[in-house]
Amino acid sequence: MNRRDAIQQVALLLGTMISAPTMAGVLGQKTNLGESVLVSAEQEALLAEVADVIIPTTSTPGAKAAGVEKFIVRVMRDCYPKEDQEAFYTGLTKLNSESKSKFGKGFSELNGTQKIEMVKHTTSNDKPFFLRMKELTVTGYFTSEIGAKQALEYLPIPGRFEGCVPLKPGQKAWAL
Amino acid sequence: MYLNIDSQKEMTYDAIVIGSGVSGGWAAKELTEKGLRVLMLEKGHKLEHVSGYENAMKDPWQTQYNGRLTMEQKETHPKLSRDYPYNEMTEKYWMNDSDSLYKEVKRFDWYRPNIVGGKSIMWGRQSYRLSDIDFEANLKDGVAVDWPIRYKDIAPWYSYVEKIAGISGEKLGLPQLPDSEFLPPMDMYCVEKEVRKRIEKNFPGRTMTIGRVANLSKPTTVQINNGRAACQFRNKCSLGCPFGAYFSTQSCTLPPAVKTGRLTLRPESVVTNLIYDENKKKATGVRVIDAVTLEEKIYNAGLIFVCGSALGTTAILLNSTSNRFPNGFGNDSGELGHNLMDHHFRVGASGTWEGDEDKYYFGRRANGIYIPRYRNIGNDKRDYLRGFGYQGGGSRSGWQRNVAELSFGADFKEELTKPGPWSMGLGGFGETLPYHENKMYLDFKEKDKWGMPLVVFDAELKENERKMRVDMGNDAAEMLEKAGVKNVKINDRGSWLGMAIHEMGTARMGRDPKTSVLNGNNQVHACKNVFVTDGACMTSASCVNPSLTYMALTARAADFAVKEKKKGNI
Repeated sequence: MNRRDAIQQVALLLGTMISAPTMAGVLGQKTNLGESVLVSAEQEALLAEVADVIIPTTSTPGAKAAGVEKFIVRVMRDCYPKEDQEAFYTGLTKLNSESKSKFGKGFSELNGTQKIEMVKHTTSNDKPFFLRMKELTVTGYFTSEIGAKQALEYLPIPGRFEGCVPLKPGQKAWAL
Repeated sequence: MYLNIDSQKEMTYDAIVIGSGVSGGWAAKELTEKGLRVLMLEKGHKLEHVSGYENAMKDPWQTQYNGRLTMEQKETHPKLSRDYPYNEMTEKYWMNDSDSLYKEVKRFDWYRPNIVGGKSIMWGRQSYRLSDIDFEANLKDGVAVDWPIRYKDIAPWYSYVEKIAGISGEKLGLPQLPDSEFLPPMDMYCVEKEVRKRIEKNFPGRTMTIGRVANLSKPTTVQINNGRAACQFRNKCSLGCPFGAYFSTQSCTLPPAVKTGRLTLRPESVVTNLIYDENKKKATGVRVIDAVTLEEKIYNAGLIFVCGSALGTTAILLNSTSNRFPNGFGNDSGELGHNLMDHHFRVGASGTWEGDEDKYYFGRRANGIYIPRYRNIGNDKRDYLRGFGYQGGGSRSGWQRNVAELSFGADFKEELTKPGPWSMGLGGFGETLPYHENKMYLDFKEKDKWGMPLVVFDAELKENERKMRVDMGNDAAEMLEKAGVKNVKINDRGSWLGMAIHEMGTARMGRDPKTSVLNGNNQVHACKNVFVTDGACMTSASCVNPSLTYMALTARAADFAVKEKKKGNI
């Protein structure tokens, strides 16, 4: 079997086996025993705004465009104990209320410079929140389709390995 | 007793193979190809080649948690979640902790697969031959008992299985690590090539090579005709390879066995015990509990290969009691369950590599480097017995790296889209001695849902291993520093038996039936139609990854068994 045949065979076999709904159901059917902090649509939108300050749109789309907030909500809900969730969302709420007291507007309504100032504020004021938010944003972004394919170089089936080759000027890091 | 003759016939085979992992797969292949009608019993569920590997072709954004475990998974799998092999992507391949009940007098991490193919699906694929330094070690050191075989007995069988399985690696001609029948070696990173040169220059007698791994770097005609393709360098092996590029039961040993038309594979079949006929002085079959319906069935055969992974195998043997074998099947010696071994690891050193910023790599190599054992060889003499090898390698970090802790924004994002610094690490894999007092046994008062008495583990690392670990850390740091690696730090994250998933011993081979369970052909001393060819048979552990040895021993034992059967000896 040559490389093309092998890939074709795999695609065929998997394509017929795994439809979109099945694919979605394959994993993550387990959630955190119902003992989760409820996250409102406003909070989710706020997460997207904060994430977009950590990883903004540059020459490539940023965290909000990549839908990172959905990853953050899912991972916080299912993979962290309730007390960590509470601390995290308390930090988010605090960021928003401090935006209001400082600029008279919620975080989402601030201009770019003000948003950066507020996020910078959390690095000293609520470092645990900032670090968790940053970690989840970075992971969510670089494993998103936009992050992997546009911000990084994505090659799912390399087909060969060369351990020591020149780095081309401007070459992006591998996504995987 | 009412006998349904037809059904009896249907339940009777020439041979039964218990387990479908590395050893069971080889047993089924060899026995069917030699003309036997074989029933292969697997406690886990079906896992179809290619189409069963549901996560193998997923992109990262198609996962839920990027591999993280949920709180529920952590709570329901307190033992499995102790280490990385159990994660979001491999969840379905492992047994639930709630089904895999066992007791720990001392901590023991028992990773039990729940699929056809067993651990041959998730294994690390590192493949090394044992040498006479290993086979002679117990005799020379006066430890435990002597292996009943030497390298020359197994060498042709290593060659035989390697040509079929496909092992990629580099010939070195070392006495302590005999060469295999190699497919071309994988490439090294620039940093690894340089570190190798400097280690060889600074430490005569030591070398560093690319890992010897059961991935098809360049498949042979035999392998291509078996439906397998070359490694695509995706580094997703443990999810199951849709290209059949690494050795697994599904990719390599099952297809030819199925092709003979003589294999019956029965998944979800929990073997509880062997049945011994006191008059015939033979095992006549096995008792099986259907994993789902809990229905009991008896299957009969004149030949039985027990390949249930070391500890699963020994649990079955210990549970197979009769008038002849009141303390477990073939346990005249009292050694069944004893001499439990695993490799000890998670100790080494790592550091950063300055330079090669203008170098990168193409593809993802599911393999690292290997430093063969050099301690207690030749004139080297340490204050402990045996030795260790190193696995490890270089890497160039990507977006996962931790850049300035409190940074964020456009510059931070751009920085993470570029390759980060190189680093280099070494992690030792050390030999554990076969201590009689390191053991597993059954608690007959407590049973799992299939009625199997619970396994109890009472085993630990001892002084010899602790002394060795000091060397494993210091040597790694010394070699890296001399090789020019910076910021070298020794790490010892602790090692508990079972964690390396190289369980060995508990039904050892030996020359004397009074002190061992199996003879030099992996045949139960006291019952000639039963063979054990998985990790349970190991008389000592060596420091190399053991699966290749199980393959060779299984093929060898199958050959012997069929010859004996033809002679009418079993």
